[in-house]
Amino acid sequence: MTDVTRILNAIQRGDAKATDELLPLVYEELRLLAAQKLAHESPGQTLQATALVHEAYLRLVGDEPQNWENRGHFFAAAAEAMRRILVDTARRKQARKRGGNRQRLSFETLDVMTRTTPEEIVMLDDALAALAREDAQAAEIVKLRLFAGLSVEQAGEAVGISRATAYRQWTYARAWLRAEIHGCQ
Amino acid sequence: MGFDSNQAKSIFLAAVEEVAPGDWSGYLDEVCRGNAELRRRVETLLAAHQESDVLFDEPNVGLMAETAPVEPVEEPGMMIGRYKLLERIGEGGMAVVYMAEQERPIRRKVALKIIKLGMDTRQVIARFEAERQALAMMDHPGIARVFDAGATETGRPYFVMELVQGVSITEYCDQNRLSTKERLVLFTEVCHAVQHAHQKGIIHRDIKPSNVMVTMHDGVPVPKVIDFGIAKATNQRLTEKTLFTRYAHIIGTPAYMSPEQAELSDVDIDTRTDIYSLGVLLYELLTGTTPFSEEKLRKAGYTEMQRIIREQEPVKPSTRIRAATDVRRSHRHPADD
Repeated sequence: MTDVTRILNAIQRGDAKATDELLPLVYEELRLLAAQKLAHESPGQTLQATALVHEAYLRLVGDEPQNWENRGHFFAAAAEAMRRILVDTARRKQARKRGGNRQRLSFETLDVMTRTTPEEIVMLDDALAALAREDAQAAEIVKLRLFAGLSVEQAGEAVGISRATAYRQWTYARAWLRAEIHGCQ
Repeated sequence: MGFDSNQAKSIFLAAVEEVAPGDWSGYLDEVCRGNAELRRRVETLLAAHQESDVLFDEPNVGLMAETAPVEPVEEPGMMIGRYKLLERIGEGGMAVVYMAEQERPIRRKVALKIIKLGMDTRQVIARFEAERQALAMMDHPGIARVFDAGATETGRPYFVMELVQGVSITEYCDQNRLSTKERLVLFTEVCHAVQHAHQKGIIHRDIKPSNVMVTMHDGVPVPKVIDFGIAKATNQRLTEKTLFTRYAHIIGTPAYMSPEQAELSDVDIDTRTDIYSLGVLLYELLTGTTPFSEEKLRKAGYTEMQRIIREQEPVKPSTRIRAATDVRRSHRHPADD
C-alpha cells in the first residue's frame, strides 16, 4: 500500500492530521511532474492540468483500486496544490514587475506560461477566496475544475454531491466569479 | 433593503433553468418585488452568466500552460564567452557541466557549469559577484577555485571553475577500501579546506559527497571541495528543488540539509551549517549511510522531513557498524579491529 493510500484511508477514517500530510506529498509530485515536463517537452506542447493531476494520481496511488471518496480527497488536494503552484508563480511575477524582489525563496521559479496573464490568475484567486467565504462548496467545484481539470460530474463526485447539484453549483460559481472579477476591473 | 446571497442564488438558478432569457425581466419583477438590491444582484449574475470567456468556458484551456521554449543545447566546439566547450562531463537536475578550454590570459582546461532554465540570471550573477572578491582570495589546495561567472547568449548563468578530475570522496573511499584511519585523514583535510573558506567568510551551504571530490596528485589522494560560491549564488539549497531527489543529481539533498536549512529561510545560515553537513559526511564515511535515510526523508512529506531533521536522534554510528552488512564491513581494515 502506498503512502498516499495509507493517508487517504486515514482521512476517510476521520483522521484530521492525515489531511495535513496529503497536501505536501501531492504538491511535491505535481511540481516534479510539471518541472520535468517543462524541461523536456518540445515547444508548443501544452501542460494540461488534467494530465498532470492524473499522472500524479497514478504515481502516488498506483493501480490500487480506490473508492470515490478517496479519489475525491486526492483530487481536492491536487486542485489545491495546482492552485498554489499557479497562483504563487503569478504573484511572484506580479511582484517582480512592480519592482519587488522577494529574497525569501519558498518555491523555485516555475516558468509557467499560461493563457491567462499573471494578473488574471491573481484576480481569479482573490475572487475564488471571496466566493469560498460565501459558498464553500461552489468554490470547491470551481477549484476542482479549474485547477485539477475535472469535469463537472467528476468534481461533483469528488465533493460528494449529485450531478444536478454539481451543475448548479458550477453555473452559479461561474457567474459569481465573472461578476466579481469584472467588479474589480 | 438587504438580501441574502442564498436568495440571490436560488432566484438566479431558477431563472437560468426555468425561464427564457427574454422573460427574465418579467420574472424578476415578480420574484424580487420591491427589493431593488436583490434584483440588481441577480441581474448582475445573469449578465455574467451570458458572457463567454476562455477561462470559464473551457477551464482546461484557460489555465493551460504552454511549455517554455526549449533551451538551445550547447555542444562541444561551441564558445561560451571566451571558453570553448570540449565535452560534457556531468549533468544534474539544475546544471550541466562541461570540460572547456580557456585560451586567454592563460591556456588551461576548466570546468564550465551552465545552469538550466528557471533561474533569474541577473540575480544569480549578482549574488555571485557579491562573493567574487572573497572567493578570489581563497587559496587552498583543498578548494577548487571558481574563476569566473557569466551569462550565455540565451541568458543562462554559467560558472567557470577549476577542473577537478576524480570521484566523490565516498566513492573513492569505498572503491579503494580505505580503513577508518585513512578515511579520517582525508576527512580532516576536507575540514581544513572548509575552515580556510570560513576564515575568508565564505560558507559553502551545500556540502555533500558529490561536492567533495578526490583527485590524484603524484599518487596521493587530494580531496577538493567544489562549488564554493555557487550554492549561494544560485540559492538552490533553499528551494523546492532540494526535494526533487527522485530525478537524480540534484543540488542539495535532504539527507545533508541542516535543521536551519530545512526551514527554507535565509535566517541563521552560518558556518555551523557547513559543520552540520560535514558531520553528515563523516557519518557516511564511517558507516556507509547518511544519518537519516534519503528515502525516508523524501517520502516523508515536507513538514515531516523538517521534523525528522530537527528532532530525531540518528542511529549511533557504532550501532550501524555493528549491524552492518558484509558489503559495508568490507571497508574495515584488519588493523582497525
